[in-house]
Amino acid sequence: MPKQIHQNSCEEHVYSTLFRKHSKNLHDFLYYKFGELLNPKDKVQDAFIKLWDNCAKVPPEKAKSFLFTTANNMMLNAVAHQKVVLRHQQKPQKHSTNESPEFVLEEKEYNEKLQKALANLTEAQRVAFLMNRVEGKRFKEIAELLDISVKAVEKRIYGALKKLREDIKEL
Amino acid sequence: MHKMNRDELIKKWLDHNLNPKEQKAFEGLEDYDALIKLSKSTEGFKAPDYSVDLEYKSISTKLKTKSHNNWFKPLLKIAAVLLIGLATFYFTSTRNTEVKTDIAQTKSIGLPDASTVNLNAQSTLSYNKKSWSDNREVSLNGEAFFKVAKGSKFDVITDDGKVTVLGTEFNVIQRQNYFEVTCFEGLVAVNYNSESLKLKPGKRFVVINGNIKNEIESNNKPSWLAKESTFASRPLQLIINELERQYNVSVDASKVDTNQLFTGSFTHSDIDLALKSITLPLGITYTKSNSVVVLQSE
Repeated sequence: MPKQIHQNSCEEHVYSTLFRKHSKNLHDFLYYKFGELLNPKDKVQDAFIKLWDNCAKVPPEKAKSFLFTTANNMMLNAVAHQKVVLRHQQKPQKHSTNESPEFVLEEKEYNEKLQKALANLTEAQRVAFLMNRVEGKRFKEIAELLDISVKAVEKRIYGALKKLREDIKEL
Repeated sequence: MHKMNRDELIKKWLDHNLNPKEQKAFEGLEDYDALIKLSKSTEGFKAPDYSVDLEYKSISTKLKTKSHNNWFKPLLKIAAVLLIGLATFYFTSTRNTEVKTDIAQTKSIGLPDASTVNLNAQSTLSYNKKSWSDNREVSLNGEAFFKVAKGSKFDVITDDGKVTVLGTEFNVIQRQNYFEVTCFEGLVAVNYNSESLKLKPGKRFVVINGNIKNEIESNNKPSWLAKESTFASRPLQLIINELERQYNVSVDASKVDTNQLFTGSFTHSDIDLALKSITLPLGITYTKSNSVVVLQSE
């Protein structure tokens, strides 16, 4: 990337591009890893402010790892291991059909089990799995985001799937 | 279904990478429904909506309140200072030195070499000090007497013509409708329109209203240096103009013929004497009040 050598994260258009490129992924990453209790949106902002403060030292091509590491560390500093809570978003269109109360109840129970099972996954498994299933990202995209190999992503996601199924059966 | 195949299919499904044939095989798996149910339910745990634009707006207000040390800003300051310095240097070094005289004022100017210039009333002389050693060149508007030190070519540029010398004494007048060069010493080259001629000492080149005349000068200095203006057969208007330059007066000559020729001189030190010198030979009278002189035929 010889072109980027002359670019500086201090320039507003560069900074803005970085924000548009990375902020949502960073937010999703933090949410899936740590859950909703630690305010992922605030941490995204904090991480980007840190990037601005250090813009002279962090070239644009290094910005992604800087942001992810910084935000991750902030999260870890905030609270030593809380139980991960992911809020289940109700999908209204499902309830518009004439589903029986039993079915609705069953669904609710299933989701509760799934929440617990997701919380029981390792952070690495949960992030990869949710990025894959919820955000619809392919293995390669996740690998780039987390700076790991495609094989490792596959292992995490497949492992997560297996563990979730076992946990749900047990619960 | 083979175990290996089953794992591969699920992995490909996870990677959103099933082709139609594999998709069919995947749908045939016994736990297809369970997998889809798990996946669909998982989607319900989607992270809250994240608006990049809103978040960016929010962060940019926080960033703007910080004074940020940008490498670019100090550089701009340095550049600005350099620019001002350069501009000043360029301006002062290439700007011409200009000397001006007012009505009734004469000045003696020493040029960068040993040459001197005497500037008559209401005249402007400009030259460039920096390029003087390469280019002895002055611009003249009005009347001046030059004593040029020996050396390279010396040019006097006027609106009417160019005078080139090597080292001489000469007088140049460039006024409205009037151009005159008188050589007192050495050799003077005059370029008027496309013509070029050389003036020897005691020769004068005159252009009045576009008419060229060649005359002889018997003095070895222009008379105005001795505070006297001398004319030989010049239209009265020229004499009046010169009078107005030497004395701060305005002359009303509407009642006399200003084209009649005048030969003679007037002093720069006594206006009444000067007016008499002009009017008596021509048989006209004058009345003077404050700074207005009215000429009248007898």
